[in-house]
Amino acid sequence: MSIYLLRRAADRASTAALYGCMALSAAVLGLILAFLAYRGVGAISWEFISDHPRAGMTEGGIVTPIAGTVQLILVSMAFAFPVGVTTAVYFNEYSRGGALTKALRLAVRSLASVPSVVLGLFGLAFFCVFLRFGASLLSAGLTLGCLALPTLITASETALQNVPREFRDASYALGGTRWQTIYKVVLPSAFPGIITGGILCVGRVAGETAPIMFTGAVFFAPGFARSIFDSVMALPYHIYVLATAGTRIDKTEPLQYGTILVLLALVLGISMVGIVARARLRKRL
Amino acid sequence: MEEAKMVTKSLFMSYSRNAPPALKDVTMDIRANSVTAFIGPSGCGKSTFLRCLNRMNDFVRDARITGRVLLDGMDIYSPEVDVTNLRRRVGMVFQRPNPFPFSIRENVAYGPKLLGARDESVIDEIVENSLRSAGLWEEARDRLNDMATSLSGGQQQRLCIARAIAVEPEVLLMDEPTSALDPIATARVEELVRELKRDYTVAIVTHNMQQAARVSDTTAFFLMGELVEYGPTDVIFTTPTDQRTEDYITGRFG
Ligand SMILES: Nc1ncnc2c1ncn2[C@@H]1O[C@H](COP(=O)(O)OP(=O)(O)O)[C@@H](O)[C@H]1O
Ligand SMILES: [Mg+2]
Repeated sequence: MSIYLLRRAADRASTAALYGCMALSAAVLGLILAFLAYRGVGAISWEFISDHPRAGMTEGGIVTPIAGTVQLILVSMAFAFPVGVTTAVYFNEYSRGGALTKALRLAVRSLASVPSVVLGLFGLAFFCVFLRFGASLLSAGLTLGCLALPTLITASETALQNVPREFRDASYALGGTRWQTIYKVVLPSAFPGIITGGILCVGRVAGETAPIMFTGAVFFAPGFARSIFDSVMALPYHIYVLATAGTRIDKTEPLQYGTILVLLALVLGISMVGIVARARLRKRL
Repeated sequence: MEEAKMVTKSLFMSYSRNAPPALKDVTMDIRANSVTAFIGPSGCGKSTFLRCLNRMNDFVRDARITGRVLLDGMDIYSPEVDVTNLRRRVGMVFQRPNPFPFSIRENVAYGPKLLGARDESVIDEIVENSLRSAGLWEEARDRLNDMATSLSGGQQQRLCIARAIAVEPEVLLMDEPTSALDPIATARVEELVRELKRDYTVAIVTHNMQQAARVSDTTAFFLMGELVEYGPTDVIFTTPTDQRTEDYITGRFG
């Protein structure tokens, strides 16, 4: 009887602890958001998100870095998505675990653990200098793509592994070739999972500063990047600049928190779109 | 009596170099336009045998197969055989209904599209005919664009049969097609199997002896990878020659 009571007490205590920890994480997140909203919301206005920065960035808006960040996301994904998904397909569907695969896997794992600032320096040396892309949208986007690759590959591989064997069997039994099976059955079934991986990456790509500060993001640009060889402003770097380089802190600090809010909204917005798209795809598939 | 559609000669199969053979010296005929049932205790090699007939065992990397499997006299393991074409001729329905996560129509259209069907009206016709043959047309005609997963388990299995016959196979292999179904759905599939033999040669694995007795013309009894006995179903179930067969069908083991 006493053991029973003891167990029940232990059960209750652990449940309470679980809820406590959950509440704590939620509170920390809430606190951060509330703090940022409190500091930043005053800066938000139509002008703020539709104007270019003015007067040494102590006035005006942040439409230039917003556009730059969106462009960087597009370039990085245009590179990382096809490369990542193809690599995952190779790992999961074609390779038989030989030496080449082992080496490639090791490379991917190493890439995942490279600090982002090192990746930035690699981007500078390889894309900007060696490939002569200069400090540009292209170089910065490709560097961010490298950052996104490991996550994207891992997420895609998981999604591919989760495609039930039965679907493949059915396709092969109907006379499907390996490529037809992958292209028509496996990839469509894995797509919602791959999209999820893509969304996570976009969130990271949008928020990173170190990979872009040497490779294409600039302190100030007079307007939008019109070609992939132009340099760009980007939200995270703009935040960094506002926080460190200003002499008129009274004017730049509200702008800085406003920019943070916009970046957060952008990242959350992309996640929402992705989640909705994924739910739609799931339903349709 | 019809001629043999498929023949196996001294078929040995093992899943890896060191594993004991899963099939030992299996020699038998599968007659055209008839239903051949494979019975035997779990693990005796029924599925393995079936998967040798459409080379689905090719995906087992270390598998070793010796002996011959003939389809209309052609050795299906000879190097010049196109495996995808073989699998089109020898279709398969699996133990668990495994519709693709597509619409009902797209499931049936999958095979024909692999074969190059593009014309939507041709595809529509194939879809209708296949669903009719699988006894699913009346239930599915108004919801062809619904997800296949919205069907019940029994309907899904009939959809899988429709999908298999959409590519006009000559032989249809069925591996315990009713084991995941309730009795009513099972009865419908059994009825279907009896109808299918008019146009196809059917080989069906079942762990249910009543089912074998109900649907098949010929029954083959496997035990530990060996074909113990095969012959007309009524003979196997009334006057088997081998003691082990008699023990099995009278429920003394397995
Ligand atoms: N993919 C596989 N790899 C290794 N051994 C297998 C595999 N599939 C089946 N076997 C073995 O082969 C034997 C026959 O299995 P199976 O053909 O599935 O039997 P049944 O369908 O009659 O129940 C069993 O001993 C089983 O463990
Ligand atoms: Mg089996």
